Amino acid sequence: MHKVAEVEVQHDIMVANKKLARKNQRILDKDRVFSVDVVGAIGSGKTSLIEAIIDAVDYKIGVIAGDVISKYDAGRFENHNVPVVGLNTGKECHLDAHLVEHALHDMPLEDIDVLFIENVGNLICPVDFDLGSHMRMVVISVTEGDDTVEKHPLIFQDADLVVINKVDLAEAVGADSDKMVRDVKELNSEVQVIKTSLKTGTGFDDVIKAIDGFITDN
Amino acid sequence: MHELSMAQAIVDTVLDAAEKNNATEVVEVTIEVGMLTMLNPEQLKFLLDVIVEDTLLANAEIIIEDVPVEIDCRSCDYTGLANTDGSDHYLSIVKCPQCDERNVEILTGKECNVKTIKIEKE
Ligand SMILES: Nc1nc2c(ncn2[C@@H]2O[C@H](COP(=O)(O)OP(=O)(O)OP(=O)(O)O)[C@@H](O)[C@H]2O)c(=O)[nH]1
Ligand SMILES: [Zn+2]
Ligand SMILES: [Zn+2]
Ligand SMILES: [Zn+2]
Ligand SMILES: [Zn+2]
Repeated sequence: MHKVAEVEVQHDIMVANKKLARKNQRILDKDRVFSVDVVGAIGSGKTSLIEAIIDAVDYKIGVIAGDVISKYDAGRFENHNVPVVGLNTGKECHLDAHLVEHALHDMPLEDIDVLFIENVGNLICPVDFDLGSHMRMVVISVTEGDDTVEKHPLIFQDADLVVINKVDLAEAVGADSDKMVRDVKELNSEVQVIKTSLKTGTGFDDVIKAIDGFITDN
Repeated sequence: MHELSMAQAIVDTVLDAAEKNNATEVVEVTIEVGMLTMLNPEQLKFLLDVIVEDTLLANAEIIIEDVPVEIDCRSCDYTGLANTDGSDHYLSIVKCPQCDERNVEILTGKECNVKTIKIEKE
């Protein structure tokens, strides 16, 4: 005789990732490492911005470079003489807490003050996956079009800092960077939004100040 | 899109629960997917149908329940369904329907939950 039984499972895959994320944060806190999850569109300038920060600040930085093929960005960071762990996501479109935990094991946490985690270039998928970092910085640029914010609202709702990069190219691509700032503010009135050009240096000091502020508050 | 990895995680979860309960077959799986997850339920279902082949779930009926967005407004005293402006997965803009503010705590809408399974046993 066959019998059919109903089994309560109640296993939420998102919650499972959140739990791992909290574990990551405990690992980081134990070594007093402040971590920044850097998310943004493909080619918006995430790697360039982290590189510029590494060169500009005194604190000791480590980088986890997540990418579909991680060796490109990881190689760029290595040239700045900081500890780097590349994370190959293969066909995946985002990092998750489990992948980051693996990378944390390979990172000399006792020797660093600030850990940047560069996520895969993508404004959609990372929204679902907390990594356990202390702040999330979203980097977009004017070249994605000035409707980028409207089209991907959720990533801005959870952001702690938003950088709108490549303002030097705004005119050339016909993008209104002020509109982008307004769109972010409408989604998230508290978040700080900074317009930058990593080419000319515009706004870069404000990014450093903003991150310093988060580190001090933490 | 991460429907494939989520589908795999769902199947692993179901198989784990099925084996713990000595199932010979899984006949039904109910999954809750929140409207604020970056998951397309139709794509998820399609991928589940593909990857369950040759598993205990091969013939299971897969039921996906949409979970609407419920909020607790921090600006007024409203608790309940959010105003999502008719938008659905990917594009939800969450507002309080009473005061129109976005300063809200999200109570539901972010889940990808394997809720129940129906199994056959010897
Ligand atoms: N004109 C201009 N170019 C920039 C600026 N910032 C970055 N770039 C260029 O944009 C290109 C992409 O920059 P990356 O830093 O590699 O972007 P990314 O976000 O790390 O890219 P992925 O990791 O592939 O998603 C590079 O050629 C940079 O030199 C800027 O402010 N202005
Ligand atoms: Zn990069
Ligand atoms: Zn592992
Ligand atoms: Zn995805
Ligand atoms: Zn309200």
